[in-house]
Amino acid sequence: MKFLNWNKTIGWLMMLLVSSCVEPYSPEVLEGPNSYLVVNGFINTNGPTTVQLIRTQNLKDETPPPAEINAIVQIESEEGENYRLWGTGNGNYTSSNLELNPASKYRLYIRTAIGKEYASEYVTVKRTPAIDEITWEPIDDEVQVYVNTHDPNNDTRYYRWEFEETWHYRAAFGTGLKYVNGKIELRDRNDPDIYNCWTSDNSTTIELGTSIRLTQDVISNYKLTAIPYDSEKIAIKYSILVKQYALTREAYAYWETLKKNTENIGTLFDPLPSQLTGNIKSLSDPNEPVIGYVTASTMQQKRIFIGYEELPREWKTFIPRCSIDTMLLAISTPREYFEGGYVMPVYEVYPPEGGGMFPIGYSYATVDCVDCRTRGTNVKPDFWE
Amino acid sequence: MAPFYRNLFLLVLFFSSAIVAGFAQQATDPLVTGNYSNAAFSHFVKDLEAQTKFTFYYDVAVTDSVTIDIQATAQPLSQVLTQALQGTELRFAISDQKQVFITSEKQILTSLPDNFFNNGSRGTETDNTQLAELYLPQLNKKKKTGSEIKLYEIGNAGSNQAKANLAGTIRDSNTGEPIIGAYVYIESPTIGTASDQYGYYSITLPVGRHELKIRGVGLKNSKRQVLLHSDGKLDIEMEEDVRSLKEVLVEAEKDKNVSGLQMGMERLDIRTIKQVPTAFGETDILRVVLTLPGVKSVGEGSTGMNVRGGSTDQNLILLNDAVIYNPSHLFGFFSAFNPDVLKSVELYKSAVPARYGGRLSSVLEVTTREGNKKQFSGAGGIGLLTSRLTLEGPIIKDKTSFLLGGRTTYSDWVLKQLPNKSFKNSEASFYDINAHISHEIDSKNSVYFTGYLSKDRFKLDADTLYRFKNQNASIKWKHNFHNKLYSVVTGTHSHYSYDISNEGNAVNASTLAFGINQSNLQVDLNYFPNEKHTVDFGASSIFYQSSPGSLTPHSPESLIKTDIVQKEKAVESAVYISDRYDISPRLSLSVGLRYSMFNALGPRDVFTYAPGIPKTESSMTDTISYSSGKAIATYHGPEFRLSARYNLTDNSSVKLSYNRLRQYVHMLSNTASMSPTDTWKLSDGNIKPQVGDQVAIGYYRNFRANTIEFSAETYYKWMQDFLDYRSGASIIMNHHIETDVANAEGKAYGLELMVKKATGKLNGWMSYTYSRTLVRVNDPSTSEIINRGEYYPGNYDKPHDFTLISNYRFSQRFSTSLNFTYSTGRPITLPIAKYYDGTTQRILYSDRNQYRIPDYYRVDFAMNIEGNHKMKKLAHSSWTVAVYNLTGRKNPYSIYFKSDKNTIRGYKMSIFGQPIPTVTYNFKF
Repeated sequence: MKFLNWNKTIGWLMMLLVSSCVEPYSPEVLEGPNSYLVVNGFINTNGPTTVQLIRTQNLKDETPPPAEINAIVQIESEEGENYRLWGTGNGNYTSSNLELNPASKYRLYIRTAIGKEYASEYVTVKRTPAIDEITWEPIDDEVQVYVNTHDPNNDTRYYRWEFEETWHYRAAFGTGLKYVNGKIELRDRNDPDIYNCWTSDNSTTIELGTSIRLTQDVISNYKLTAIPYDSEKIAIKYSILVKQYALTREAYAYWETLKKNTENIGTLFDPLPSQLTGNIKSLSDPNEPVIGYVTASTMQQKRIFIGYEELPREWKTFIPRCSIDTMLLAISTPREYFEGGYVMPVYEVYPPEGGGMFPIGYSYATVDCVDCRTRGTNVKPDFWE
Repeated sequence: MAPFYRNLFLLVLFFSSAIVAGFAQQATDPLVTGNYSNAAFSHFVKDLEAQTKFTFYYDVAVTDSVTIDIQATAQPLSQVLTQALQGTELRFAISDQKQVFITSEKQILTSLPDNFFNNGSRGTETDNTQLAELYLPQLNKKKKTGSEIKLYEIGNAGSNQAKANLAGTIRDSNTGEPIIGAYVYIESPTIGTASDQYGYYSITLPVGRHELKIRGVGLKNSKRQVLLHSDGKLDIEMEEDVRSLKEVLVEAEKDKNVSGLQMGMERLDIRTIKQVPTAFGETDILRVVLTLPGVKSVGEGSTGMNVRGGSTDQNLILLNDAVIYNPSHLFGFFSAFNPDVLKSVELYKSAVPARYGGRLSSVLEVTTREGNKKQFSGAGGIGLLTSRLTLEGPIIKDKTSFLLGGRTTYSDWVLKQLPNKSFKNSEASFYDINAHISHEIDSKNSVYFTGYLSKDRFKLDADTLYRFKNQNASIKWKHNFHNKLYSVVTGTHSHYSYDISNEGNAVNASTLAFGINQSNLQVDLNYFPNEKHTVDFGASSIFYQSSPGSLTPHSPESLIKTDIVQKEKAVESAVYISDRYDISPRLSLSVGLRYSMFNALGPRDVFTYAPGIPKTESSMTDTISYSSGKAIATYHGPEFRLSARYNLTDNSSVKLSYNRLRQYVHMLSNTASMSPTDTWKLSDGNIKPQVGDQVAIGYYRNFRANTIEFSAETYYKWMQDFLDYRSGASIIMNHHIETDVANAEGKAYGLELMVKKATGKLNGWMSYTYSRTLVRVNDPSTSEIINRGEYYPGNYDKPHDFTLISNYRFSQRFSTSLNFTYSTGRPITLPIAKYYDGTTQRILYSDRNQYRIPDYYRVDFAMNIEGNHKMKKLAHSSWTVAVYNLTGRKNPYSIYFKSDKNTIRGYKMSIFGQPIPTVTYNFKF
């Protein structure tokens, strides 16, 4: 008995010694001339190219990122060809469907509305090999999603992935009722489906892989993401669209630095954050920082679906946290409850033991629990199986 | 029995007194003839020496007033002498070695041993027994340390030198260990010297009688009465200063601060080091070194030190002359040196002696003890995380001793006891072993062997295992040619390696390994031609072999391609000479020149790059193959060392120094702290050696009879071609590291103020440093430009730094220490803006090192409770109770920002964010 206590004491001391402590830290507001041009996107050598031009913001700025509009954006080849990209709003610029010469080198040229000129370096075109397979596996209370690819020519070596997740979900409570002008009515087929919805999310992490240390250009089971067993994403059906881009070594280094700077910092042996130098420069002021790295490649994509029935049976998948309450017509009117639109009726409440044909009240829940459209769309995506 | 011991003791005394030893017991008494009338004593002696071939030893000062009136015809020498000295205070004794000792009765002690010997051989004029009884009580009190009142006659009388050299070894009377840095001096005229790392001293004094004073850290002040005739030896044994209630009489290296020529040097004795509390209750020399002015580290839990603006790889860390590449255990939470085997630590920040070279910023020389030459003993400690045990003793008494120390941790076991899952899957263990043998072949030759092994093993996640080890061996042969010249031949071998095994995924299972070996042969000679000059000269050669990296598959399914970065070989050689010239008692000068040369050797394939543009993969032009032993690149250059001291008054001085150092090996690390995954790179055709120059000037003053030392030093330093990294540099398994590094130039300057009180109930030191370290990467032809080519603060630029180390002794058995450290936060690159990269918010960082983390401060407190001080008991023990970071200040170790979903959050990580109590039990037997 005494020995056990001793163990605990030592354990406690050890915890004290080794447990490091992490606290939030916010330095003084860093004000400064920090509205630098940001260039997002890549030159798609086989399809339309979309580039987004926005500006950096102060860290505490809560407004949406300022878009750079009315700029002249074009893809230029070393041979002097150029292809114009047209503004589509929000700082986005899109070209027509292009078929660029993979043997040539291309750059992105930008001239802002106030006449500042920017250009990327000329970059070589990389051909992206097809994705072999997207696989998944339930491991340790989560679904892990992997990508597999290979280049038989052993030529690609550097890869980047983006993905878009889409999932089917349902409102916590299905309802057959609706509130219209102070009255509760039954829903009919003309009413929109508010029970089944879909929503999507883009990847937020930088996923990079390289086969440079392998004898073959093979990426085997690169883990893209993991979904916890109780996530709503896999409650009904989940789909992931993986986009694969081949990178040059330099582009890989850029993305790797960006990843290190923003995702990987904070343990004992991590590298110092380092400056990020993209391949876009201001032609008027060489010291002006420009954020972004332009690459030119094709893009490959693949989609898979995961249904909840494929998951381990013992998993207790997502259960919505919603509570239901009752309003009584004897005390209040539907208008008082439902006019504000914060709560919605779920079902009628009848008097006990057949006390009458007419409801004496309605159970209700918050709109988030009843109308799934608050978090997504009830339009089934085209690709949905 | 008693007379036997008494006699034996006197015998020992006599031998140690350096008067020629070994008197046979048979004597002849030659007949002499002569007619002396009012003859000078010296004339009389000369005549007798000519006739008898006997050698006379006498004190000129005592005999110069004596005149001789005697006539003798074929009379025995003893009879003649008896007659001649009648009526004077002089007595004589004749030995079988044909020696005649003339002594004055007033200084009966002189004649006591002489007569003692003669007592056994022939009749004498003096009554030994009586004298012995008179003086023995005092002698006994002094135990075996040699007498302070006995007069030691050194050399042969009659040589007409005005000056003579006295040399010998200073040892601890209990253990026989040599004492480093003991100050040996006479007061009028003021002539002094300090014992070197072998305890050896050599001092040139005017002939005649002197009171030689000896002082050393933790030792009782001692003195010797010396009558110097000509060159001779005097070995001195000193007693350890037993802790006493009274004012401690230690006056460590008394006025070395002021009168020593060396500047920018700190010597820490293990006693001092042990008083400073540390995070884990374990005495840690590197952590104490970090409290010295001019020494900084990037953060807690990192023993990488930055000396005067230098990077962590610019420190030459020597353990008994063998280079230690990684001086830490367990991520730097512990230093790799077992405190029980250590004797002292010396840190040179400027005026680096010419015998050292190869690193730009500092030399940290760690010396182990030699082991007890008199008796078997041991020491150890039991702490919360580590335990250690040291055994030592004589193999041949007074000649050969051994020292064996080991240390290990049970953190592995502790981790397993923790409820937390991630701790259970972690492993952390280390151990280190020191072995040392010293053997005195004869009075002129000694050899020393040292072996050192340290190993670490830790597993952070369940699937990555880190291991690293240091292996060192050194052998030293010290040979005294004569009093004024000795040589030390040193051979060392150092090995450092690590490997990281990844076992998680069978396809990627691999082992990454790095290793470096260096073999060093060095000859150092010390020559003391006269009292004005001390000349050091020598040569050294180092052979490096490095395996910069290998990646090998770890399982049959592994797809990992075996990848081995080419091995590197090089030879670094140097010759040096330096002369310390004491121009006058006030002005001393030390001038040194070291010439070093580095050859990078084949076999190797070397990339060449297009000239004038940054080295990148795309600017590679060719690959050149070099065959085995062929020089790939050669660098060489002089390294100047100069220092001077001018005494303004008796207790104040000004010192000035300039030195240049060249460094041919570079550490590659892209992390802020020194981590075991750092690799070392040898200079080659694409990586130039680093060169550093430093000018320092200092003012030194002692107060209150040398008990308080004050020093102010200021320095300016230039560094060229040290390595900084390009953005996103990849260090590991890089076949062409030159494409990822940037040649940086740096400048550092600062002012260091220090007040030190080494003695008294209250002792310790207080230091303040203002320093800057600035770095610039501005050569577009070699690498990218950082911060537009402007100077930016180095990673360890901490302008203000204040340290207080204090120790108060309440009683013989109870003492406390309190430490306070403050420093400006180190520079950091902060996020200055955010932006969307399509879908996610990302951050844009500021210029490199544009901002600073919050300031650092910490208070530590320790109590040391000694057991009782009975002389005879099984073991002496003590308890140390310490609290590290008493105020629980959460000092930031790391500050970082993470983008998580669509928000950017800043985090501050502190490693020792709460008060950490520790208890250590130490014992000694």
